[in-house]
Amino acid sequence: MRGRSLSALVVVLALYALVPVALGGNLYLMSMVVAALTIGGIALAWALLGNLGGLVSFGHAAFFGVGSYASAILVMKAGWPIAAGLLAGGVFAAVSAILMLPALRLRGPYFALAVLAYAHIFRIIATEWKSLTGGAGGIANIPRFPVVLGYDFSGKTGAYWIVLTIVVLFVLVYDRVRNSDYGLALRAMHDSEEATRVVGVNSTLLKAAMLFLSAFMTGVLGAFNAHYINFLEPDYAFSGLWTMLPIVAAIFGGYRTITGPVLGALVVYLVDQLVFKELMPIGHQIILGALLGAMILFAPAGMLPALLRRRGWRHA
Amino acid sequence: MTDLVAQALYSGVLTGSAYALIALGLALVFGTMRIINLAHGELVLLAAYIAYTCESQLGLFPLLSIPAAIVVVCVATTLTWYVVGRIERDHELNSLLLTYGIGVMLTNGALLVWRADIRSTKSAWLQEPVVLGPLYAMRSEVLFFVVSVVLIGALWWWLTRTWAGRALRATASNRDAAMLMGIDPRRVQLVSFLVAGLLAAFAGTAIYTIGVIQPSLGISLTVKAFIITVLAGMGSVPGVLAGALLLGVTESLTTTFASSALQELAGMVLFLLVLFVRPSGLFGRRIGAV
Repeated sequence: MRGRSLSALVVVLALYALVPVALGGNLYLMSMVVAALTIGGIALAWALLGNLGGLVSFGHAAFFGVGSYASAILVMKAGWPIAAGLLAGGVFAAVSAILMLPALRLRGPYFALAVLAYAHIFRIIATEWKSLTGGAGGIANIPRFPVVLGYDFSGKTGAYWIVLTIVVLFVLVYDRVRNSDYGLALRAMHDSEEATRVVGVNSTLLKAAMLFLSAFMTGVLGAFNAHYINFLEPDYAFSGLWTMLPIVAAIFGGYRTITGPVLGALVVYLVDQLVFKELMPIGHQIILGALLGAMILFAPAGMLPALLRRRGWRHA
Repeated sequence: MTDLVAQALYSGVLTGSAYALIALGLALVFGTMRIINLAHGELVLLAAYIAYTCESQLGLFPLLSIPAAIVVVCVATTLTWYVVGRIERDHELNSLLLTYGIGVMLTNGALLVWRADIRSTKSAWLQEPVVLGPLYAMRSEVLFFVVSVVLIGALWWWLTRTWAGRALRATASNRDAAMLMGIDPRRVQLVSFLVAGLLAAFAGTAIYTIGVIQPSLGISLTVKAFIITVLAGMGSVPGVLAGALLLGVTESLTTTFASSALQELAGMVLFLLVLFVRPSGLFGRRIGAV
């Protein structure tokens, strides 16, 4: 166990140092990696909800959009520092999830669709609440990341370090939750929700807690993205892509693993942008839809775990 | 004021009839197979685009494209039925992810073939006004209202009076008992997918002649159909009809007295209210709740 944490630490340090050196000159590739990590973080949050909470969501775009608007508005109109904006993005996304609590009373497919409907509601509100959000025109000139300790974080490399830090923190949090008593109860719930209820576990409360945590994580990433690209509009911030790409990434990487969704996002997003998009500029996500369908049929536990198992490797 | 309300109610009922066709398809498949087909709205949209293609490329009157739409959409639903049947475990959730993937493929396929532009019918005949006392509608709206009523009547007759329809209802209410009576559930499921495809083909053509279409419309049609089934309570044909009319009327009242941008929101608020207050639906049995 100790040896594994050590090697994980080495890998993470190498990611911090080597990727910017290797790609630093190529701003396009660097922005691809930042976007892939952002999606990887959402995929992780989505998989946490699915793996520990037993809930499939088709509406994570709602949390992402709420987080990005909350941070942009608080920083621009109330003068909050960006770091506080990132946290607030997460908190607002979690608060917006309170509205979804009645949907927890619904069984699997109903919950999934109810959340899809919620995502639509938030997009419409962001479009119509013009005094706050600027309506369909959006918000431009959202403040960039500042200079900290002499380093200017507003560039691609600065953004890379920030999003990598966020994702690494999320991985650690996920790991802590999974190995805690709550994680045990959640895993038991996965086997039999009725039996777990009988021994005194409040399963709805635990599910709600996972929903809030997942929403918080996604909101933080939304806030990060708002300050990274400096522009927001409802159709972008609440775009179904923020739901679809993480789902494909998480299933591809294995949604029952912790690092799988992040790795899956790197593979799926980079291949989609660098290969499929070159081949067919419009509608290239048709391939991702086909990929998702094929995985559900042939490798529902994930493509990466299946490939790694074939090579005899273990997957964290 | 009364005139405005009457007009809004009238328009709402006309739109609601097309919604009913979409929601009935979703509900039929759910009944026999216990899956929610997340690609259902995209299938309706596919029919709409077929009407568009026949009109713009071949110069066909949009209604004449319906046979082609039926064939294409039913092939698509048969394929969906086939792949969903091949899911090995966690059927409920994996079928959602699988049909979601099919929806993504259809949306992007539409984007690829028909581009992101907004399309609507060029037929002047269909857009002529029909005046009924103080009430006003387009010819296409009235036409498809009649078509929907006939189809729903036929569906009702089929479900209650024919062997195949009864087999479908039996499978929906108790699959194991139906099997003991010699009903092959796989076949019944296929039939439900085919009927859903048939209704979707008409609904899509209606949507195209009544309003405008674009690739992103599919998912919101699925959401509307889902809202209707939640309002109805996933149980009965009359419940779905009432839910569809309620949604249509709510939307059109919102458009008349607030703004058309808020019409989708009004449907959602209705949905939230039902979810909070009466999760078993307004008209149905308690199925969805734990």
